[in-house]
Amino acid sequence: MRLVHLQKQFQCYLLDGKSEIERHVVATDKASAMQRLAIYGNAYRLRLLEVLGEDFPGLKGLLGAESFAVLGCAYIDAHPSAHPSIRWFGRHLSHFLRERTPYNDRPELAEMAAFEWAQGEVVDAADTAVCSAEQLAAVSPARWPDMRVVFQHALRRLELHWNVPVVWRAIDDGTTTPTPEHSTRPLAWLLWRRSLQVHWRSLAEDEHWAIRACLDGRTLGEICQGLSERSAAPDVPLRAASLLKQWLSEDLVANIEFGEVPC
Amino acid sequence: MPHDQQTRPYLGYGLGLRPDHYQDIVRDWPAVGWFEVLSENYMVDGGKPLHYLERVRSRYPVVMHGVSLSIGGCDPLDRAYLQRLKSLANRIEPQWISDHLCWTGMAGKNLHDLLPLPYTEEALVHVVERVNQVQDFLGRQILLENVSSYVSYADSALSEWEFLRAVTEQADCLILLDINNVYVSSCNHEFDALTYLAGIPRDRVHQFHLAGHSYQDNLIVDTHDTAVIDPVWWLYADAVRRFGRVSTMIERDSNIPPLSQLLDELELARRIAEPILNERAA
Ligand SMILES: [Fe+2]
Repeated sequence: MRLVHLQKQFQCYLLDGKSEIERHVVATDKASAMQRLAIYGNAYRLRLLEVLGEDFPGLKGLLGAESFAVLGCAYIDAHPSAHPSIRWFGRHLSHFLRERTPYNDRPELAEMAAFEWAQGEVVDAADTAVCSAEQLAAVSPARWPDMRVVFQHALRRLELHWNVPVVWRAIDDGTTTPTPEHSTRPLAWLLWRRSLQVHWRSLAEDEHWAIRACLDGRTLGEICQGLSERSAAPDVPLRAASLLKQWLSEDLVANIEFGEVPC
Repeated sequence: MPHDQQTRPYLGYGLGLRPDHYQDIVRDWPAVGWFEVLSENYMVDGGKPLHYLERVRSRYPVVMHGVSLSIGGCDPLDRAYLQRLKSLANRIEPQWISDHLCWTGMAGKNLHDLLPLPYTEEALVHVVERVNQVQDFLGRQILLENVSSYVSYADSALSEWEFLRAVTEQADCLILLDINNVYVSSCNHEFDALTYLAGIPRDRVHQFHLAGHSYQDNLIVDTHDTAVIDPVWWLYADAVRRFGRVSTMIERDSNIPPLSQLLDELELARRIAEPILNERAA
């Protein structure tokens, strides 16, 4: 048999469980062809399930190990890996949970998966510089309106209807898993990296708007203008300054820039 | 760097770099000769993996070990993957780069396993051609590792060691000889492990792997989740007798013990190899 056909048959066996490959494998007294192939078949699924378990411990906690394995097998069938690194295998899981019955009846599952996947992205996103308070202090107040805040590459935003970060923390601590709580208005969450660790917190609506505006390349002057229409804070420039101070203290800011936004 | 034979670099006794041990390593800087890193784990943009890799690299020689080259696969070589491999190599300057004599998937899929090839003339020509392409692209020789296997194919016309020898001689590449894999495959396919060692060209072996394994039905599975067993140590001694001073490391991928335990196990490798090497030198 040509090499390419042999590999095709072998792959069919691993992905679908049936193929002609058995006829091309040598059976001995020690083990039959099927017993030999089964080592590969079992290892294929176990390895991918293990990676999902490592990347989605919160989801596993919400579902329980048995249901998580059922989900994992369905996902393995639907999205075989197509990447050299197994690190990316779980990237479609949140979408899969959102689309697929019976999981789409429990939307908190897709949100948990999205939250956990975002944590993974924060871990190994590109490194960026950390802008210090001194760097900001060196900017003359007259230039503040033209200033643009550039965030670290590891920053991620999520809008969640369920309190999955709270549930995740309880699962991680090993305390009893609380029942996920739903809110009609989604809450925005920010994830970022600081000293190699993943951090997150929820965002007030005006801060969420300001962060998106920074990401869009708006200047601080434009952000103050926008905040005055959105923020409940009585003193908008003070609110903007305090947000900026907080972002700096959390190492969220990589740089401050002036002039045209580079394309 | 000391050399055993004219061309063989020698790093001593090393370990696989695993995230579980990052903190301990950069705190204690243990007396390990070198680290082997899994190339794919560091093909990321930044953060923790590259942070620790660079710190480890600042104090130790490092070699890169990949699992997704699929040198025996039938899809065209993945240029993007090769480019990432080359960039990582430029960044950390490894002593050498290795992968496995196997295939890992086709039609764009990655099965994340080291699947055995049929040892045929067709496969030989195919693998040699691809090793040439990879070595041209990377601008260096690569090491290919023998894998543990649970199946052999009716089509195979050569033994595994004949095939490995032919690939390395025709493509002018090097060998990472996994002693545990020789042992595992010799049990699963009932061949003589010493015949295997005798069939491997001396000068091409630049690295040894040692590892533990487990049992499933009548077969031995290469799980890297336990300590090296005695028969594998004995085979290691035979390999040292045949190949001389070869950089040796222990692979542990799951059920990972404290670093100190692996250092003890590595010390055992040294205690087995050094008397043989001294005797050989005398
Ligand atoms: Fe190995």
